[in-house]
Amino acid sequence: MSQEDPAGENYRTTVKRNRVLHWSWESKLPLECAAHFIRMRSMVDDARIPKPGFWSNWSSWEEADAQNSLGHDPLFVFPKDKLVEEGSNVTICYVSRIHQDNISCYLEGVQIYGERLDRSVSAFELKNVSFIRKKGTNVFCKVDQGGALGGIVLFVSKVLEEPKDFSCETQDLKTLTCTWDPGSDTGLSKQPSQSYTLFESFSGKKTLCKHRNWCNWQVAQDSQETYNFTLVAENYLRKRSVSILFNLTQRVHPMTPYNLFPKNVRATNATMTWKVHSIGNNSTLLCRLELLAEGKVIQQHNVSIKVNGEYLLSELEPDTEYVARVRCAYTNHFWKWSELISQKFNTAEAAPSEAPDVWRNMKMVSGHPTVSLFWKPLSKVHANGKILFYNVIVENLDKPSRLEVLSIPAPARSTELTLDQCSYQIHVTAHNNVGPSPASVIVISGDPGNEEVESGRVNGTEDGFSVSWKPQSGDATGYVVEWCDGPQDLPCVLQWKNLGPNTTSTVISSGAFRPGVRYNFRIYEISAKRMAHLLEKKAGYLEELAPSDNPQVVMSNLTSHSFTLSWKDYSTESQPGFIQGYHVYLKPKAGEQCPPAFEKTVLPEDSVCCKHTIDNPEQKTFVVENLQPESIYEFFVTPYTSVGEGPLDAFTKITTPDEYSHILIRIILPMIFCVLIVMIICYLKRQWLKEKCYPDIPDPYKSSVLSLIKSKENPHLTIMNVNDCVPDAIEVINKPEGSKIQFLGTRKSLTETEFTKPACIYLLPTEKNYSGPGPCICFENFTYNQAASDFASCGHFPVTPQAPPHQLGPLTSPENLLKALEQNYMNSLGEIPAGEANLNYVSQLASPTSGDKDSLPTNPPEPALCSEYKMQMAIPLGLASAPPSENSSLSSATLLGQGEHYR
Amino acid sequence: MLPAAGEPAAGDSWGMLACLCAVLWHLPAVPALNRTGDPGPGPSIQKTYDLTRYLEHQLRSLAGTYLNYLGPPFNEPDFNPPRLGAETLPRATVNLEVWRSLNDRLRLTQNYEAYSHLLCYLRGLNRQAATAELRRSLAHFCTSLQGLLGSIAGVMAALGYPLPQPLPGTEPTWTPGPAHSDFLQKMDDFWLLKELQTWLWRSAKDFNRLKKKMQPPAAAVTLHLEAHGF
Repeated sequence: MSQEDPAGENYRTTVKRNRVLHWSWESKLPLECAAHFIRMRSMVDDARIPKPGFWSNWSSWEEADAQNSLGHDPLFVFPKDKLVEEGSNVTICYVSRIHQDNISCYLEGVQIYGERLDRSVSAFELKNVSFIRKKGTNVFCKVDQGGALGGIVLFVSKVLEEPKDFSCETQDLKTLTCTWDPGSDTGLSKQPSQSYTLFESFSGKKTLCKHRNWCNWQVAQDSQETYNFTLVAENYLRKRSVSILFNLTQRVHPMTPYNLFPKNVRATNATMTWKVHSIGNNSTLLCRLELLAEGKVIQQHNVSIKVNGEYLLSELEPDTEYVARVRCAYTNHFWKWSELISQKFNTAEAAPSEAPDVWRNMKMVSGHPTVSLFWKPLSKVHANGKILFYNVIVENLDKPSRLEVLSIPAPARSTELTLDQCSYQIHVTAHNNVGPSPASVIVISGDPGNEEVESGRVNGTEDGFSVSWKPQSGDATGYVVEWCDGPQDLPCVLQWKNLGPNTTSTVISSGAFRPGVRYNFRIYEISAKRMAHLLEKKAGYLEELAPSDNPQVVMSNLTSHSFTLSWKDYSTESQPGFIQGYHVYLKPKAGEQCPPAFEKTVLPEDSVCCKHTIDNPEQKTFVVENLQPESIYEFFVTPYTSVGEGPLDAFTKITTPDEYSHILIRIILPMIFCVLIVMIICYLKRQWLKEKCYPDIPDPYKSSVLSLIKSKENPHLTIMNVNDCVPDAIEVINKPEGSKIQFLGTRKSLTETEFTKPACIYLLPTEKNYSGPGPCICFENFTYNQAASDFASCGHFPVTPQAPPHQLGPLTSPENLLKALEQNYMNSLGEIPAGEANLNYVSQLASPTSGDKDSLPTNPPEPALCSEYKMQMAIPLGLASAPPSENSSLSSATLLGQGEHYR
Repeated sequence: MLPAAGEPAAGDSWGMLACLCAVLWHLPAVPALNRTGDPGPGPSIQKTYDLTRYLEHQLRSLAGTYLNYLGPPFNEPDFNPPRLGAETLPRATVNLEVWRSLNDRLRLTQNYEAYSHLLCYLRGLNRQAATAELRRSLAHFCTSLQGLLGSIAGVMAALGYPLPQPLPGTEPTWTPGPAHSDFLQKMDDFWLLKELQTWLWRSAKDFNRLKKKMQPPAAAVTLHLEAHGF
């Protein structure tokens, strides 16, 4: 590139006299970038002149300097608008008129660095340039902060490719169509896209193709058979070509057949017709007819035709959608199949080919056998059309009667029949537009018979339940296994499986089976009479799970040493596994050993407790024994299956009672009951009791006081008989000195006795001898009591005349009364000296109405005609405090209070 | 003028109300209020203004696509080359004082002439565009610009100004001469889009100014007239 690098080339031409030779040469460095010099020499290159020849002398150097012709712009970049192929190396340069050093050049915005050729020229070599855009790659230089700018657009073209897959063919032997893969487009804004020319060497004709990937060639009328085509692709930079040689009749690609239609479509056959475009005269085409069902080719037929094609397709399925398609090829020489033409058609319906699969379920509704009939919808293969309805014909086998016919519209899959105790034969047929299916026959006995059969278990696997059975009778025509798809607590979706007579096992699988759900299978044997007999029952789990809940345990019979647990309501049937038994957990109080029959175990939460295993799932009670009285126990019952036991719930706490408490209860309760009874009786018979035990007029002979006194003080004390009572005689009882009664106590007695009905002993002669008022002495004693009426008839008391009648008036007031009492008392003390006898005589003015306390304040006292003397017998305090009658105590308490007030 | 108004009896409020209703009913028919017959240049100025704003928005998207098509440095945001060879493009930039001193006619004439030239150049651009999508965008924009030109012509007609007549033989062309390099051609394209943008911006200001100037007289005058009549 430097100035010292000369480049030389040889140019060979034929010289003629007076002919100017032109030689074009392109410098790597644009001519504008530097002055170029050229010289030449020549040599004769002729066969007639023996070699080696001799070179002429060099001519003088000729200078080509384009810089002089540049304009006045401050900055130029060269070469202008150059077109190169991708991958080329391009040298560019700038020429600056301003002689500045701060000129930067950029390729697509990225700065490039080059070689400085002189003060105002720098060259840059761009290696392996690539295509960026059709509008060209921008290279520009600018003076930094100077504003001067110059640039060029370098057009980088993609390399022209050789056309690929070049081939020619004809559809009608009149026009050849040649196609190829043109590869990438080399078009730029500086260069149009490559052009394609088709050249035929035998005829010497050529045609410029309008399209970049195909071209038509008119076949000549002179029946040229062989063609040699050359396809030439060309752009400004390059030319590429490709050739093929072929025979016209070997490149026939027939046109797509047309008018493909089904004709006479029936249930199992149909005729297809189609047409083809004729090729030349009398040409034969091989057509391939294909039949597709559900996207798969199921039939394939080759048919040779000229113009019209026809073929009868048979072995078709009724009511099925098919697709027929046809393509054809030139028979003389197979080159290519034509494009396909397709046609869809449906075969006609036919009567269902198979009887519906029917099963039944029998139950008693209101005493009538009710049969639920179920059937499975026919598969598409057997339905042969749309099932419109099902006919159910019920025939009584026991007595001749009219057939009962039920028509159930599709898509119903079940019906219910109420029958009587007779046997019935039921025919079920499925109907479509064309006709009925074969009948499915089932016989139902009116007597359901003894259906109690043995129950067994069946194991579930990943594939389902493997059910097997033992044949019972030799004449079985088949077996049916029935089950419910859902769990037991959901309505049963009855499922069944029909099996042949020689089958004794099957695998029942269903997508509805779930782990932890108990499925019950019933195996029926179908007899020759089409009657079903229950053979076996099986229950199983696809996968057993641990119980999900624990039973509700009831505790009873709690004693100090035992209690009973029961969980009778727990159903072992509806559990997620076969219940094998129960675990009874018992937590005794700390430090205590497990009761017998329990073993020590560790619970998941690391607590230690006692465990008893019941291995009989039907044993739903358990007595926990050998417990300590007055102890706290906790229990918990959980079932277990082969997988594990139920969830660990909360323990229930109980406390065993005291050992003797039950005995106490046995005694105390009856006693309380008896006492209550006695109390009630006493209350009801209180009058009788009163008369018997403490009558108003006691029987002195029955008085306990008497016996008391008699035993303690005076064994000779006797009861004074009225008959023995001598008037005016007083029986004086000696009393020991020590038993002196306090004045207050006396006074209390005094006041008490004032309003009680004093028990008086009449010291008067007998009543019959009594004829008028006379003196009488009334001895008050607890043992003596007499009705007030009797007392009222006492009359005068002549012994104490000191109480004048006029003194009685003021006695109505308590003050006067007390005064009078005091006075009388003092009088009596004065009359009877204390030393003579230890008798206290209380002089008392008995009010004539003392028996009626209510009338005391209101009724004016009547003048007493006699004084009453009550003998206050000195008795020990304990005895004297015996309660007075209720009436009197009320009044006396009142008086006492007043008396004390006046004291 | 008010045939239904009549002479309402004094104190007859119903009559007054009827009269008022009649006046309101006939208000649209009163020529002084009915401006639909002669809207003046106001609406068309407004429409032209709106169109310039719309074209500004449209050009932003188009210029982005086209400058990317030219490649760097033309699509670089800070590329600001000297204006080489694009002298024939009408310049939008003008001294502010000069711009203010322009009268309406001159203002509109300059706009019309500028867009006439720019539209012509733009059509040349469209013919050279290599991609179909770009050609579609350019054609759409040319149609819009043609609409703007028509709109300006409408405003000028409304204001009674004649359209500038192009001198014969001075039809601008966009065919690069033999000395015009592809790089300079790209520069011209760049400047064409840039001038177009500046012109649209200037036109928006021109028409906004014109719009304010052509504000219709206040409606209060006509209402006053009506009150007088009533």
